[in-house]
Amino acid sequence: MPTDAAVSPSLANALESLRDRGLGLRRGSEAPMPERTRPSVPSGHPTLDAALGSGGWPRGALALLDAPVGCGATTLALGSLAAVQEQGGLTAWLDLDGTFDPAVAARLGVGLEWLLLVRPHDAGEAVELAAWLGRSTLIDALVLDLGERSVPDRRALDRLAALLARVGTTAALVLAPSGRTMVSGAAGVRVVLRRTAWLSVGRDLVGQRVDASVERHRWALAGGSAELDLWFGEGRRIDPLVAGMARPRLIEAARPALRVVGA
Amino acid sequence: MTRLLALVWPELREPDAEIGPFERMLDALDDLSPRVEPVDAGVALVDVTGLEPTWGPERRVAARAVMLARSVAPLRVRCGIGENRWLATLAARLARFERPDAPAALRILERAELHDLPLSLLPADPAMRQRFALFGLTQMHQLADLPRSAVGAQFGAAGERLQALARGHDPRPIVARRRPARVAASTSFETPIDGIGAVSLTLRRLAAELCDRLRERHRAPGRAVLELRLEDAPSLRVEQPFPQPALEPDWIARLLLSRLEAAVRARLRSCRPAELTAREERERPPGWPPGAPDDNRQPRSEPNVAVSSGPGQFPSDEEIFEPRVVAVRLVLDRLSDPATRQLPAFEARTARWEELRWSLERMRHRFGEGRLWRASADRPTAALPEHRVRLTDIGA
Repeated sequence: MPTDAAVSPSLANALESLRDRGLGLRRGSEAPMPERTRPSVPSGHPTLDAALGSGGWPRGALALLDAPVGCGATTLALGSLAAVQEQGGLTAWLDLDGTFDPAVAARLGVGLEWLLLVRPHDAGEAVELAAWLGRSTLIDALVLDLGERSVPDRRALDRLAALLARVGTTAALVLAPSGRTMVSGAAGVRVVLRRTAWLSVGRDLVGQRVDASVERHRWALAGGSAELDLWFGEGRRIDPLVAGMARPRLIEAARPALRVVGA
Repeated sequence: MTRLLALVWPELREPDAEIGPFERMLDALDDLSPRVEPVDAGVALVDVTGLEPTWGPERRVAARAVMLARSVAPLRVRCGIGENRWLATLAARLARFERPDAPAALRILERAELHDLPLSLLPADPAMRQRFALFGLTQMHQLADLPRSAVGAQFGAAGERLQALARGHDPRPIVARRRPARVAASTSFETPIDGIGAVSLTLRRLAAELCDRLRERHRAPGRAVLELRLEDAPSLRVEQPFPQPALEPDWIARLLLSRLEAAVRARLRSCRPAELTAREERERPPGWPPGAPDDNRQPRSEPNVAVSSGPGQFPSDEEIFEPRVVAVRLVLDRLSDPATRQLPAFEARTARWEELRWSLERMRHRFGEGRLWRASADRPTAALPEHRVRLTDIGA
């Protein structure tokens, strides 16, 4: 282990500059660096806020919700927008595929009067519109729903990430089931969602239990995870008793969806 | 140097045209300039002096005015820019649409360009036109070049005024309209409605209508005044001052309604006849302290008095009904700029939307229409999901 005296001045300067940039490099003999605080918006789930380490989705950053279709990424994003609106924020939803359902959003607590719905024509335009909204500094959180078929341009995403970081006011959540590899390179935060159980009341499925693990975080320590209960559209607002009545139904081991008879 | 922008909407100049949007267009033009004059139905003058550093060349200023007006109603408009009222309005008159479907036409007219224009463009009466023709005057410059004394001797004061116009002089200043100090809306019912609570929906609608109008003008009220005309009783009037300017129709309606109910109770208590009080005392259950309020009967007995045929006359059972409301009038006054932060209950984030509106307009110009939408839950209990919400194109 090199001592302080053994470290050359140029290397020490380089380490200091890296520390200033928040890259988290430190020598083993030193105390852990205090985490840099970055303003954030709530995710609507206190456990996820704690797992993120930054108190929620960081402002001025792209956050990728990496989840297969049906694992609650949209529900989590809607809950986050509702939480932002409860704090007085303005929100936007960029709906590339035209699948956004305002009725479902309203049932999940999103105030439609404080939600701007943007319907771009292609993925490039969606990224550009997100940049325009971020540059306005008036949108606190936006969701960039790229849909299942569209794959954005990596350079455009990098430009968007740089612009958001420069402005520093908008937290952008990205839903990109098909372009997750492309987006994950530009995103500062990557949260992977994995369904662990269904939540049921009797024979009715009312939600799902999802394990959210923070795989990447540029401004806090990654690796945290949280267990989220995501209720389906009718659950949370219509009947508050559902949360207490629901019982988790564990998902069985993977089995083939189609059995070949006689094989 | 003064620069005026004249806007002429040909469709509003028609005799049977609906000029309702005109006032709202003037409100929208307040965003561009504080000096806007409604000259006539469908004609407006906007003082655009000194706006170039902010908005760019005059063509862009005119385009912005057109955009603001078309945000209210998509009507075709002729625009003219000149040094004074005459030149600006004449420029608007001479503006030609480049395409049949073009939304606007613009003409910038300078004083030197009047030289070759026909004299028939002057606002002269037929007799004066005939006399001009008699003297062989057909072009502007022919009249402008004559000595003023000669024109005055031959055509009188009206001729001198027309010659000044032909020379491009018009001393009439722009008379900017004053912003209203109050806005009001009212509605009447052909069949009177029973009860104070029944007016809540009407009150909410009136408040929303007035708040929308004020939001377009970037104004907010400091007080609300509600007047209810009753069928068989004097009108009710309640006031609700706000600690800070408020633009929330829901809360305004709720506060007014609660004030109204309190006012009804106070009035009934004050005009309660002695006979009724004596009968209530007689019918009071044994052991009930005298003078104590009878909560079970109070809501039923109080409204009777308000609609009784006269003081001191005891109401019969047929007269037992709620006050019947004939008309509702809501006035919002003490207008001022909306506060960014208001009462906690008022959470007016309208100013943020106003700020965002500029960004959204720029985005609409950049990306075209059909991108930016706002959703509203019109029928949340509708059976089909597509009927529960309504999408509104922000750019349309």
